[in-house]
Amino acid sequence: MGADVSVVAASEEGCHIFNDFGCGFEAPGVSLFFPTPWLEFGLPGTSGLNKYYLVAVVAVLVAAAFWYFTTRKAKVVPGRGQSMAELLVGFLRDQVTRTAIGKEGDRYLPLMVTLFIFIFSMNVMGLIPGLQLPVTSNLAFPAVLAIIIFLLWNYVGIRRHGFGGHFKARLIPGGVPAWILPIVVPIEALSNFIIRPATHMIRLFATMFAGHLLLALFAAAGFYMFNPTSPMGPLFGAISVGYSGLALVGFLLFTAFELFIMAVQAYVFVLLSSIYIGEALEGAH
Amino acid sequence: MNENRNGDDEGPSTPNGTTLVSYLLGGLAFWGGVGWVVDWALGLSALFLPIGLVVGLVGGIYLIYAQHVRS
Repeated sequence: MGADVSVVAASEEGCHIFNDFGCGFEAPGVSLFFPTPWLEFGLPGTSGLNKYYLVAVVAVLVAAAFWYFTTRKAKVVPGRGQSMAELLVGFLRDQVTRTAIGKEGDRYLPLMVTLFIFIFSMNVMGLIPGLQLPVTSNLAFPAVLAIIIFLLWNYVGIRRHGFGGHFKARLIPGGVPAWILPIVVPIEALSNFIIRPATHMIRLFATMFAGHLLLALFAAAGFYMFNPTSPMGPLFGAISVGYSGLALVGFLLFTAFELFIMAVQAYVFVLLSSIYIGEALEGAH
Repeated sequence: MNENRNGDDEGPSTPNGTTLVSYLLGGLAFWGGVGWVVDWALGLSALFLPIGLVVGLVGGIYLIYAQHVRS
């Protein structure tokens, strides 16, 4: 068959549908999320200096630039940029902190606005040509943010209700007869102290991971299926272009959808953070 | 939870949904885990694991009922 030769030929020219090399479609895998490090320090459990760091720095610059350009000439009657920033802050105040925490939530508004913009800009990096890597698709980034919120949640609760009060409110559900407590207290503990922070980080990570993988799949499929000069004849060439067009349409649709998801996930992360903090302030329920 | 947080129509990603799911998962994970450890310690194949799963599920549902339905 001469399979070895044909595989080499295929990989050199790129594999396309209706080829006579005998090569098949290779779907993009999780290797997308493990970019080759540019600089390795050989520390155990670290990835070295890779693309994530660069993209994270770009995301920070984008977030900082957004506030710099929208607020540097703040006026009582806002211009276009300033109204956009004010709209965002007002939206997060009305929909997130005031809803979840109440009037007191205004103290946490700066944190929530910062988190929202930071997470959103990290997410959007997945759509910027050349970067195309959502920073939050690496679990480490959402994990750090979720742990910060978890620590703040404990801090706020302990400061408001005292050490015992905070943990009592989080471990012992109100209105439950004493004989059921041995069954439900471990569930409360596991749910509040492990599962909730874990799902808080995994929700953001998994949606960004899956979304990026989906976009990569559409792009790779579009490339694979584009073979107008198919050796199997012009008919198959035309069919392949049609297939490729479909993949392109899917790619564009899902890119638009991804942008929506990116905003929604940043919003959900901030909303959950506010709800946790509101709950810690509220104490026993 | 507050009244104004009840976004019942928004599926499992709503805050309420998150708490409910974490109760159910926590119940299953903890009591199922206890049952599994007991099985392992006694050298049984599967006796306490299903019992633990049922206890955990009932406990989780009870917590949801006690905190979010009754009050």
